[in-house]
Amino acid sequence: MAEVNIICIGCPLGCTATLTIGDGGEVAAITGCECKAGEKYVVEEYKNPVRVLTATVVTQGSPQPLLPVRTAVPIPKAKLLPGMKVLAKTRVKPPVKIGDVVIPNLLDTGIDVASTSDLAI
Amino acid sequence: MTLRDVDVAVIGSGPAGMAAAIKAKETGAENVVIMERAEQLGGLLHQCIHNGFGLLYFKEDLTGPEYAHRFVEKVMDSGVKPLLQTMVVGISPHRDVTAVSSQEGYITFRAKSIVLAMGCRERTRGALNIPGGRPAGIFTAGTAQRLVNVEGFVPGKKVVILGSGDVGMIMARRLTLEGAKVEAVVEILPYVGGLIRNEVQCLHDFNIPLLLEHTVSRIHGEKRVEAVTVARVDKDKNPIAGTGRQIECDTLLLSVGLIPENELSLMAGVELAPITGGPVVDEGRQTSVPGIFAGGNVVHVHDLVDNVSWESELAGQSAAEFIIGGKRAAGRRVNLKPGRNIRYIVPHTVSGEKEVSLYMRVNEPEEDVRLKVGSIMTKTVRAVKPGEMLKLELSQAQLSKLKEGTAEIVVDCEERGDR
Repeated sequence: MAEVNIICIGCPLGCTATLTIGDGGEVAAITGCECKAGEKYVVEEYKNPVRVLTATVVTQGSPQPLLPVRTAVPIPKAKLLPGMKVLAKTRVKPPVKIGDVVIPNLLDTGIDVASTSDLAI
Repeated sequence: MTLRDVDVAVIGSGPAGMAAAIKAKETGAENVVIMERAEQLGGLLHQCIHNGFGLLYFKEDLTGPEYAHRFVEKVMDSGVKPLLQTMVVGISPHRDVTAVSSQEGYITFRAKSIVLAMGCRERTRGALNIPGGRPAGIFTAGTAQRLVNVEGFVPGKKVVILGSGDVGMIMARRLTLEGAKVEAVVEILPYVGGLIRNEVQCLHDFNIPLLLEHTVSRIHGEKRVEAVTVARVDKDKNPIAGTGRQIECDTLLLSVGLIPENELSLMAGVELAPITGGPVVDEGRQTSVPGIFAGGNVVHVHDLVDNVSWESELAGQSAAEFIIGGKRAAGRRVNLKPGRNIRYIVPHTVSGEKEVSLYMRVNEPEEDVRLKVGSIMTKTVRAVKPGEMLKLELSQAQLSKLKEGTAEIVVDCEERGDR
């Protein structure tokens, strides 16, 4: 049995939940959460913490030096820094429309990186 | 000099200005213009490339540029006229708006009503008086954000951030993702300034140390920042002698508060509230000068853009109604007075005639409290924090409980005795 602390971000209370993890990796008990929605969040955050990666890629042939991008949906937290290495090597040329895919299937997550802005010539 | 008549002049095209202009047009104002000093609509949203925008307004998790795009499209469809590279330099109490425009030069607009939507600016080192030299490498967090996200420069490799406001924490993450090392986020108060989600997702996710009840007591370096001294502070927020330690760094970011930008408001004779630094407004967001309205961060600094949009829609609607319905009757005005642990309330007055949302902040973090609006409403809240704005909706039924002749309602944040 092990214990993991996770802070809930659902409201300003910011409960620190303590999850008791069984030997098989399952969540055996939760203490410290003030509400059910918080318990649901911290279990999900323990099992599969995900974040939207937002960053920029360098442009070529545009007066705008950078194009802001995002992952369409959240990706595993552990993929954020490796994902940045892929973005650093990427170059985009105009025209780009908001929502256009800039990098398909980032790091085999099945999730695309898309533009969050238009890029003019 | 060119003179032009307009119905509604909106000053600033950030989330506040765009929402106000669209709503003014929808309400029936014909000639609505937005004046924007930059080359594009959207204001600061373009440099806020992170997500978390629109969760309430659109029920979607958008980035700043995406949130801006939604409103820019609405502006274009609505028939509002954007005037870009047009910087307003003066407003008279009679609603003459003077601007310099890259296309038309010096131009004066005679507006039937005005919406102030200039937003806010950052406090700088000068506001803090941090001892030390004047080396390069000291930036406000927002300037660093623009450099990293728009211009394409990372301002340093080893960074200390003073202040745990949202922009500071977001830049801590952003700089880390771009390969810089954020040595610490230093906060003078005993609690984080920004939203809890930013503390977790920007600091904890990347193991960035957060030093509460600490401040930067000295900046070292001649040509470039070489280190800062970080010291513990006492109850009066003064550095405690002997607690200082040097942290080597080449960059210091300041995320130490935002100030509503009201130089133009003052020129127009608009009364400002000392706590918020923004205009005193009624529930329709009319300022002390008839026909001049205000919305968004120019009124009070928000933490969520969604509330900026909603508040500014009120200002835009009122600005249009001012023209269409003639001058609004003075009507009843009941002052809202901050009581126990309430720092401020916007609007500053209510008419009591229609439902109204109160936006407010507390002075101190507290748990298990009851928000009490005079004798007309109470609401229990599990936790309140200065960094998280509170919104209370008062219904017409609740307001009808106000006694005739009521001049003031006190809003309190009370301790709950029943837990």
